[in-house]
Amino acid sequence: MEIYNWVIQNKEMFKIFYGLIIALICFVIVLKTNRLFKLSFHQGIRYFRNAFFFYGIAFLFRYIFGALAFYGYITYQFWIKMLFEFFLVMGGFFLLYSLLWKKIEPEHKPFYSSLLNFNIVIFYLMAIVIVVLDYLWKSYSFMFISQIILFICMSIVTGIKIKKDKGKHKFLKFYFTAIILILVAWILNSALQFFAWSKGVLIDIYIINIIFFLLFLYSVIKITSK
Amino acid sequence: MAKKRERLEVIKDILKAVRENRNIKPTRLLYSSNLSPQMFKDYVNELLKKEFIKMNEDEEGKKTFSITTKGHEFLQEYKVIENFIDNFGL
Repeated sequence: MEIYNWVIQNKEMFKIFYGLIIALICFVIVLKTNRLFKLSFHQGIRYFRNAFFFYGIAFLFRYIFGALAFYGYITYQFWIKMLFEFFLVMGGFFLLYSLLWKKIEPEHKPFYSSLLNFNIVIFYLMAIVIVVLDYLWKSYSFMFISQIILFICMSIVTGIKIKKDKGKHKFLKFYFTAIILILVAWILNSALQFFAWSKGVLIDIYIINIIFFLLFLYSVIKITSK
Repeated sequence: MAKKRERLEVIKDILKAVRENRNIKPTRLLYSSNLSPQMFKDYVNELLKKEFIKMNEDEEGKKTFSITTKGHEFLQEYKVIENFIDNFGL
């Protein structure tokens, strides 16, 4: 419990490092998958990389502006939170889309751009709507709800894929575990708005988030280094 | 009924055929690729564009395909790529 109190006392500083760690993990994932994408031009790999690129941008953004606010160079304003939220939501959309793209896009004639095509524009619009609604309500509720729905969908999709796979690919189970973990984190995060839980729960959420990204990093490193 | 080959599998099969038969003629490659002429054309154009194969022409104007270093790299990494896609459900 003492370590919890110590972390809570230095919460802002930890938030900054937390942002940096996740941003670094995300960029390592993007770099580690670069070669595979350059050789295969596989749209799924492309969307998977986009997801971590957007997550990376979100947390890098949080790190930079968090650090600037921490040292008193700027005041942490709502537009910073809005941009963080936008990139975070887009990261989630890309991760879901990386699982579903084959059902939506023709595989032999992929869209020219993975960042700007008709389907992705819909995601941008949805992300903007979520961010604006949260701005108007001065809350994170719409992001929480959207992410909970998104990760429930992802857990169903990965669950079906695991069933079809019949245990041939062990990292698919890692993927499922990571999705369930982050889903729990989002549920806890949204519940924190309504229940006066101890601040230790927030630290647990941060730890779960880091585990989520580490599970992906571990899987990517293991598979690409074979 | 045989399962439809995925895009990467088709690319692997074409590249393997080119690697195993150095300077393979387009017609022979079409037969060994097991694709329709239109699909074959699309794939070959894609592979040429990505510099996985190159087209050679002799003095008589006969055209053949040969594999490039990048094509060899793809074949070496194919298992890793396939593994990655399957493990992340992509």
